[in-house]
Amino acid sequence: MVNNHVTEVPEQTTKARLLDGDFLKRLRRLRLMVSKRFVGGAGGARQSLRRGSSVEFADHRAYVPGDDIRRIDWNAYARLDELVLRLYVAEEDLSVTVLIDSSASMSVGKPPKFDTAKRVAAALSYVALSGGERVGVTPFSTSIARPLPPSRGLARAPRVFRYLEEMQASGETSLRRSIDAFVARRGRPGLVLLISDFLDPAGYESAIDRLLSEKHEVSLFHIVDEEELYPTLGGDLRLIDSETGDAVEVSLDARTLKAYEARVDAYLEALQRYAKRRRVGYLQVGGGEPFEESLLRYLSGASATGIRR
Amino acid sequence: MSFLSPWSFLWLLLIGPLVALYILRRRRQERVIASTLLWQEALADLRAERPWRRLVPQVSLLLQILAIIAGSLALARPSGSASIPSGAQLAIIVDASSSMAAFANGEETRFELARNAAQAYADDLPPGGRMMLIESGRETAVLSPLTSDRHALSTAVDRLQIRGTSANLEEAVAIASERLADSPEGSRIVILTDGSQQGEVELLAALPIEVQEVTIASGYQDQNLGIVDADVRPRPEEGADRADIFARVLNPSSEPRDVFVIAELMPGQQALASRRLRIDSEQSSGVVLQVDLPPDDQGRAAHVGLRLEPADGLPDVFALDDQVVLPSPGARRLPVFVIGTPPQSVMRALRTDSEVELFRTSLPALAEREEQTPLDGLQIFCGDVPAEAPGGDSIVFAPNQNQVFEARLADGERGNITDWSEADPRLRFANLGRVRFGEARDISGMTPLVQSSAGVIAAGIERPAGETTLFSFNPDQSNWPSDPSFVIVMRNLLERARNRRASGGIPDGPLGESLRVPASDQRSVEVETPSGATIEAPVQGGLAIVPIQAEPGVYRAEVGERELFAMRNHLSESESDISHRAVFVTGEGQTLAGVEAPEERSDLWQWVGLLLLLILALEIAWATRSVSGRPSERRRRAA
Repeated sequence: MVNNHVTEVPEQTTKARLLDGDFLKRLRRLRLMVSKRFVGGAGGARQSLRRGSSVEFADHRAYVPGDDIRRIDWNAYARLDELVLRLYVAEEDLSVTVLIDSSASMSVGKPPKFDTAKRVAAALSYVALSGGERVGVTPFSTSIARPLPPSRGLARAPRVFRYLEEMQASGETSLRRSIDAFVARRGRPGLVLLISDFLDPAGYESAIDRLLSEKHEVSLFHIVDEEELYPTLGGDLRLIDSETGDAVEVSLDARTLKAYEARVDAYLEALQRYAKRRRVGYLQVGGGEPFEESLLRYLSGASATGIRR
Repeated sequence: MSFLSPWSFLWLLLIGPLVALYILRRRRQERVIASTLLWQEALADLRAERPWRRLVPQVSLLLQILAIIAGSLALARPSGSASIPSGAQLAIIVDASSSMAAFANGEETRFELARNAAQAYADDLPPGGRMMLIESGRETAVLSPLTSDRHALSTAVDRLQIRGTSANLEEAVAIASERLADSPEGSRIVILTDGSQQGEVELLAALPIEVQEVTIASGYQDQNLGIVDADVRPRPEEGADRADIFARVLNPSSEPRDVFVIAELMPGQQALASRRLRIDSEQSSGVVLQVDLPPDDQGRAAHVGLRLEPADGLPDVFALDDQVVLPSPGARRLPVFVIGTPPQSVMRALRTDSEVELFRTSLPALAEREEQTPLDGLQIFCGDVPAEAPGGDSIVFAPNQNQVFEARLADGERGNITDWSEADPRLRFANLGRVRFGEARDISGMTPLVQSSAGVIAAGIERPAGETTLFSFNPDQSNWPSDPSFVIVMRNLLERARNRRASGGIPDGPLGESLRVPASDQRSVEVETPSGATIEAPVQGGLAIVPIQAEPGVYRAEVGERELFAMRNHLSESESDISHRAVFVTGEGQTLAGVEAPEERSDLWQWVGLLLLLILALEIAWATRSVSGRPSERRRRAA
């Protein structure tokens, strides 16, 4: 649904760095959809799991002392000769959290994966804000860093963009500790958009499982670099881990590259299989394809699992 | 193998610092990547699949260590005594004397060892090197000129054979020195010999000479018994067929030996007599065996064979001198066919020889003979002569024709003898200075024997099947029959004819010398060797040259309907002593025998150089290898 407030967004400051105007126009026609219903803190455009006082009828139940007598369905009383209450679906705004990986490994790549991650985060935030959702941004590496508190309204988009632009990538990746910290800080479940390269030696499964167990709806945005997928290295190299500083000496020949590529394939396939098994949205961004194309295709529903138009 | 510069191996100490530097300061291009997680897993996969891949990062170090080792080896200058410097020229002289036929060990003869060594030189000939092969027997033969063609050299090595009972190494060295004049540095002459020559062998050459003596195993140095002299003489006073066989047996070894000397009638090897001898060390002993030797059906008699058989169980490593064949006395009977009217003086001379059987005939009678085989004896033509020379030996006195065989005769003149060929065996011991002849005709077309003021009055010609002696005057019309030289010349002529017939019609020769078989009407002849092998040789110019090996015994040749034969014996005291006695000296008197100067193994340089280049190429390839821009299969699939 298109929000009229979009005209108020200071596009001059955003399109030059993160998103261009044409892309923003295309994003305006999109909305984030979730498969779950969440209990929101304020009335919003989304249905709350609580039945409330909005106009959309939900159900009847028997009157018990203490109920608001204004909700008694007198027409039903006339016909059934008993007191019943009309219940309505409580409409509530969706809480969207963008968890963005700001570890040092994200600073590597051409362009740096962190740039791509920030653009994806900006685009997703823009879509969410244009849909009237409450959007917060939480960077993480070893643990979560100072987050951008949730806010609603497209007018907040410049703030979100500025926040993203100012972010720096550093530190080691620890998905589990970061998710644990995030869950501990944020009690209400919502939509979590997890943007990362998922290169965590400890794995990603337990961290994402923790999110799912806390009733969050999760979508994974896997940022990859083309050089990571199709390395063009050669000769005797000392490969330095950008996060740990650990070194691996390799003599790169065709057989070594083939073994690496087999490992990359297995890693990507495992992540996709995991997402499918957990009914978690998954999108691979980067790797030579412009992120706008893959993101638009994903948001338009072609391959989305947890996000619908 | 030894090393001319072993201190160069100190360069190997560089390996220590190299390894230290490699470990401490190995520089690899560093690349910061997002995470090494997947790389570590990929390397673990590879190591599980190929454990030796742990060494792959060290390939550069290994190559550098190999380069240091190869370089040190090259600088150490490996050397050996059997190598040939690159581009050098080599003359291999193989001693082909009969002593080389002695066994050097239980399996191979000295000659086989020498031949193997010559073949090894041919095989090891480096690029650019050339080699010639000389066989040094009784005569020196260049079997292969200087060539780098290994196939030609191998063929020449295969042609090496023991020739005769001596080796003229000095002559062989002189030939080699001449052929290798102006040869590049490193060229040399190699002599492969057993050193059994007697006394000093002076080797004069302008380039180094290396004497390589074949290795002779213990017990094979001098264990030999050999017949070094033999003869058969008739003893008519004791019987028509009675004969004495004389033999002298040599024991050159360092201990006394017992031996049986056995006389046999050949062919058939019918034992005639046997005697046991004990011969002290380095001594010879004579023996006389009395036997009866009846003539064969051709009046030539059989051959007599003598052979040795050790009676003490000790080995005899040299077999060539263990048997001898001799013509029996019956072969000395000479049929003489007188054609025409002979001078009285000639007839008297013939009748005085008790071993001459005279036959009178004429040219028409000879023409009516049904047999076409040549007369087996001496033919004497007086007056008329046939148009073509007969087979065998012949003498012509005062021919009527102007053309006698190959010679032309002029008209008769009177004159005095002015000169004669004293070296010719027919005129041996003859003094013709007092001879006066009535009338003689000048002879042309034959070898002059007697010169006179009227020209050549006696001449001769040698043919493969025999010789003709032509006297252009009648002895009865001169004072020659009253001169002792007449009887001497007649006996010389009869003796030559007798010897030729007794020797089987094939000229006599030393052991191993090719047979010269007269066969004017044949295209080729076949010769059966004493061991029963057959050798075929083509006939050229009425003569077949049949190469034979050094094998003592009787060689038989079928030429038309005639059977010719030849005898070959060792009979060499020098060669029967197979012990090492030679002293090889150069022009400066320096003894080189047994000395093998270390020669730089230049052939190894090529391999070391090749190894270094290979290592360098590998190092460069390894250091500069890159897969940048290589289209990945996954990338292609992804695209």
